[in-house]
Amino acid sequence: MDTCRGTIRDSEVSVAITMNQETLSRRRFCQIAGGGLLLAPTLMRVQAQSPSKLTAREVVARIRKNIGVPWRTPTADEFKIGDPDAPITGITTTFMSTLGLLERSQSAGHNFVITHEPTFWSAADVVADLRDDPLYQYKVDFLERNKMVVWRFHDHWHARRPDGIFAGWDKTMGWSNYAVPGVNPFSHEYAVPETSFQELARDMQAKLKTRSMRLVGDPKLRVTRAGHAGHYITQCMSVLPRVDVLLVFESREWEAADYVRDAIAAGQKKALIQLPHEGGEEAGMEECARWLRAFVSEVPIEFIPSGDPFWRPA
Amino acid sequence: MENATSGLTMISSQELIDRIQKNVGVPWQSQRADGFSDGILLGSSDTVVTGIVTTYAPTVDVLRRTVASGKNTIICREAPFYSRGERVPLQWRNGPEPPKELIDSDVVCRFKRDFISQNNLVIIRFFDNWDARKADGQLRGLARALGWGQFHQPGRNSEEYQPADNFFALSETSLGSLAQNITQQLRIGGTRVIGDPNSRVRKVALTHGLLLVAEVERILRAPGVDVVVAGDAVEWEAAPYFEDLVTARKAKGLILIGHEASEEPGCGEMATWLKSVVNEVPIEWIPAGEPFGTLR
Repeated sequence: MDTCRGTIRDSEVSVAITMNQETLSRRRFCQIAGGGLLLAPTLMRVQAQSPSKLTAREVVARIRKNIGVPWRTPTADEFKIGDPDAPITGITTTFMSTLGLLERSQSAGHNFVITHEPTFWSAADVVADLRDDPLYQYKVDFLERNKMVVWRFHDHWHARRPDGIFAGWDKTMGWSNYAVPGVNPFSHEYAVPETSFQELARDMQAKLKTRSMRLVGDPKLRVTRAGHAGHYITQCMSVLPRVDVLLVFESREWEAADYVRDAIAAGQKKALIQLPHEGGEEAGMEECARWLRAFVSEVPIEFIPSGDPFWRPA
Repeated sequence: MENATSGLTMISSQELIDRIQKNVGVPWQSQRADGFSDGILLGSSDTVVTGIVTTYAPTVDVLRRTVASGKNTIICREAPFYSRGERVPLQWRNGPEPPKELIDSDVVCRFKRDFISQNNLVIIRFFDNWDARKADGQLRGLARALGWGQFHQPGRNSEEYQPADNFFALSETSLGSLAQNITQQLRIGGTRVIGDPNSRVRKVALTHGLLLVAEVERILRAPGVDVVVAGDAVEWEAAPYFEDLVTARKAKGLILIGHEASEEPGCGEMATWLKSVVNEVPIEWIPAGEPFGTLR
């Protein structure tokens, strides 16, 4: 634990430490992460005296060096707010930099947030129309007052092979060994031990800690094949013929849901699990925290879930 | 057209569209910038209409019930092949339109297309022009389905239920009770809520369809709004916007009832309106029903 807090720069050494971390139990892992919270103020003092002050820009430079794919332009993966050249006190990785998440990150002593999804409520974080919006002003004020920096990590984390988001999802589901070749090299399809649709959904709900899963299909349907179809109907049409259970998140209702209910009405033995967007992608940002520790060791790195935004009435 | 046997006047699908255009009360928008429009999506313009079904979406189940009821013309909001036809994703909110080859080779689409042609059905999209009317039929339908007419706070407009005229002052309750009440009233299961279930709430803005951030901003410029009810919300746009509103204590709750559930009662309103301008054939609203179930 102490070694991993040291200022190790050599990437080969860092990789070795990460591999050791991955062998740690989840409980131990949490203890380390929790320890980071207590250590944060101390670290800040140490850094104040240290000539090597880690900045958000330096972290992003290391990400670009380690991501393994060419950096694209244009990209959503940019600083959204804050001073990238100020020293950072800790890193939070998360699915979405909601205001609640930012407050939790601030309480944990981490002023650098790496978010998969937008901060300002649009795909490209366009703020031009938000200048007079009281909520926008409130959020910006909170971030500025707490000297926080937000950087989005979406396009390249998906572009990494394997896709960082799905690598994390597979681990959280315990499905890494079930992955099978899909309809194309970017597919995520699985041969799962035979079960009922209902049991599969129940297991997924528990492992993803999701509250707002919605289903189309017969609960008793026997299933052995599942596959992600992203957000869009074109992907659904490509994947559904190959699987029993289609997995989508953040899909418009007139696309995946109506398509699968029609497939069933046409006599096919199919089912759909519609997850909240967070349930489909948050696990990938836990994976991101694990990956970052391979080459960032100066500050604590913690995955803090933004969580399922929804609950369902009883 | 004259029906020789019954003496009743007959109406063709094209004549039906002409009748709608003449009576809708707004200039007919025949073509949207993205190339999609209201009108006949499948079937022939010279088909003799035997009966009209209004619905949210022409699902396979709705098609079967239409045929079983002896009708052959479906007037709907959503299109048969699961796309609104946008050629590029609208800010990534929806998928691009599937290419023709994909629809032609897809088993589900083929089944549906065959069923429609074998039964000589006509699918007519009536969405943009219906929504362009001065009074919002979708809003009125949903308000009536909820039994909220008496709580409506009329706006300054002479005609009720204009699109921005969507505020309701309910008896004070908790967000959790309100969500439960709506769910039971609409007989749905897939309701999703953001906010503290114990929050006390009273003033509600009722919307239908996909809720966008700009609409939430407009709603919250009115004083004292606690809750917004909508069909659905993009989970990187209005949904987290609302999460942040709740965290910042600027609003109390968002209740998402599902896209179909929010738009279906308006299709009942559409049937009522159609009966006022078409009297040649029977007209019936057949709800497509909520697509989702949930774990129990």
